[in-house]
Amino acid sequence: MEVTTRHFRQSSARACRDVNLRAVLDHTTRYFQSKRQASLETFEGRDAHFARARAARLNALSRLPELLEQLEANAIAAGTIVHWAADAAEARAIIVGIAKAASARVIVKGKSMVTEEVALNPALEETGAEVWETDLGEFIVQLAGEPPSHIIAPAVHKSRQDVVELFAEKLNLHGESIPELTLLARRALREKFLSADMGVTGANMAVAETGSVILVENEGNIRMSTTCPRVHVALMSLEKVVATMEDAADLLRVLPRSATGQRMSSYVSVLTGPRGEGETDGAREMHLVILDNGRSEVLADPVLREALACFRCGACLNVCPVYQTIGGHAYGWIYSGPIGTLLSSLLLPRSETRDLPFGCTLCGACKRTCPLSIDHPKLMLALRERTAGGGGNPIGAAHALLARHPLAYRMAVGAARAVDPRLDLLARLPGLPGLSRFVDSRRPPELKTPFTARRRKKTQKERS
Amino acid sequence: MSGAATESRAAILATLRKGVAAAPFAVPAPPARPASVSVTDSVSGDAWERLAAVLAPLEVRLRMAGTRAEAAKHVADIARERHASTYTRWDTALDGLGLDEALSSLTRLAPGCCQELAQADLGLALAHGALIESGSMVLVAAPGQHRAASLLPPASVILVPRRALLPDVSYLPALLVRHSVNGKLPACLNLITGPSSTADIELVLVRGVHGPGVLDLVGLDWDD
Repeated sequence: MEVTTRHFRQSSARACRDVNLRAVLDHTTRYFQSKRQASLETFEGRDAHFARARAARLNALSRLPELLEQLEANAIAAGTIVHWAADAAEARAIIVGIAKAASARVIVKGKSMVTEEVALNPALEETGAEVWETDLGEFIVQLAGEPPSHIIAPAVHKSRQDVVELFAEKLNLHGESIPELTLLARRALREKFLSADMGVTGANMAVAETGSVILVENEGNIRMSTTCPRVHVALMSLEKVVATMEDAADLLRVLPRSATGQRMSSYVSVLTGPRGEGETDGAREMHLVILDNGRSEVLADPVLREALACFRCGACLNVCPVYQTIGGHAYGWIYSGPIGTLLSSLLLPRSETRDLPFGCTLCGACKRTCPLSIDHPKLMLALRERTAGGGGNPIGAAHALLARHPLAYRMAVGAARAVDPRLDLLARLPGLPGLSRFVDSRRPPELKTPFTARRRKKTQKERS
Repeated sequence: MSGAATESRAAILATLRKGVAAAPFAVPAPPARPASVSVTDSVSGDAWERLAAVLAPLEVRLRMAGTRAEAAKHVADIARERHASTYTRWDTALDGLGLDEALSSLTRLAPGCCQELAQADLGLALAHGALIESGSMVLVAAPGQHRAASLLPPASVILVPRRALLPDVSYLPALLVRHSVNGKLPACLNLITGPSSTADIELVLVRGVHGPGVLDLVGLDWDD
């Protein structure tokens, strides 16, 4: 998908004016919050389980190079073919190469943010293959030619009527009710699963000590994509590795609860190599592509690397007042909400994402909600600092300097207000680059009569 | 691995090593994992009852069988209720339960390619583990234990031996090891927790989007 993060200000302003979108987001985020809350209330030993999950993720990050090598060795021993991709272009080239070698004409895909990140679909389609998203939500947004709008509910911005019209227009399939539409999708995609040559998935995690890839889902499309086609390719961003199956089990206890409020997702697949001798289904050929795409550089940053601990439950999106207002598309790339802001800022060029970390109220709801205790606001501030340090707005820097010195601040504001009481001419002053942008994003407080003046007036009134 | 891939691998690992060395992590020791509720814990109630209670919100029905004949009868009842005319089942693991006799009016489809098994109305498999806390059935693929049996048919039946009952997902590593053959882990282990489901259109829950829309369990409540 096209990266439009540089237009975040305009797209978020546009989204704020979309009344229908606000209604959808209100319904969606409340739905996920209530499911999650209900699940966590009955989760015995919740805090200990959360702490274990965080420790599993941080332990993995602290040993990342060693664990990736161990994962590679054990995956190869299990019969998996392991590839390393430094960036999106390499990942595409590797997977296109696998598709060509397999003469893949039909390719089915499980929901995977990382395949969206590397823009895999267009590259596979260029080989002449049919590429089908098979998660129902992803299928809908693929037909609509749109990116997903939520990490775990990609088509949440689409109404039933939108889907009715979409299926009629693109597939000539006609249904009205939601179960009917779901059945139509099942039938249409069942044909694709059965004729597919290759299945492509992401990876929720990979286990270094066993070489296993773990996939979590509810629909069964990922199981289909790894059971019927003769080739399975799992694309995994490198931070998803965990040390042991015990760590994976700790994460599995937390991930579904935090994502959808389920004790366990409908299907969890632990895949260790291609099908064994004598088995009649499962991929005959399994590939694991380990993707960097900028993550290895992040590991050296003692603050920002915490974002790599995320396991994409999406809970931070649902509690974020900014996401609740503007939705996923306004962020301009596949990742949205608090964690999306962090990931996009870390993985995309800085020039493309300058405004993203400022689209945050620093309310801390994300941090309080994150089962892995990722401190999003702290990371957001670090990103803002980095943005300012990299040639930020000098007016902003001057404002920050004044704000640290209350007397100087009061004098400066008093002087400014002496000539421009409502501070509405400031933006038009010539010769101060960046001033209009700075003022545009701030609404100065109403002019108030000083407290001493008010008291004097009151006293005079009482006397009279 | 191609030259470019080898270079990428080396570069990625070198950058990671440099990063870890430049700013070492301080990972706090995790707290002890809260103890699992024992399968035989009389305070928490009967294990089967607890499993049934967890599965009820998922619309999964657990039928208990005290004998092989009773188990076969349950399976025949389920086939009738689901209007099944064809079925596929695991081989050796389910032999000896008299299932083929109980389903003699149905056509059995042999394990094979997905295109053929997609015609099956009912799929029968055996749970190697049943995680009471989450209601998850653990199925391990192997020769004669095809993955499609619990995936392609619209209705799925999983038979659950008493010995399969386990407290929770913390037993996953042990299960994998138990099913290793000559030190090789099984190629596929699935946790199945209820039927296939989606809420991708207007967050309305629909069962049976790609996998089975209904899941029935038959508890085999005897020692073996």
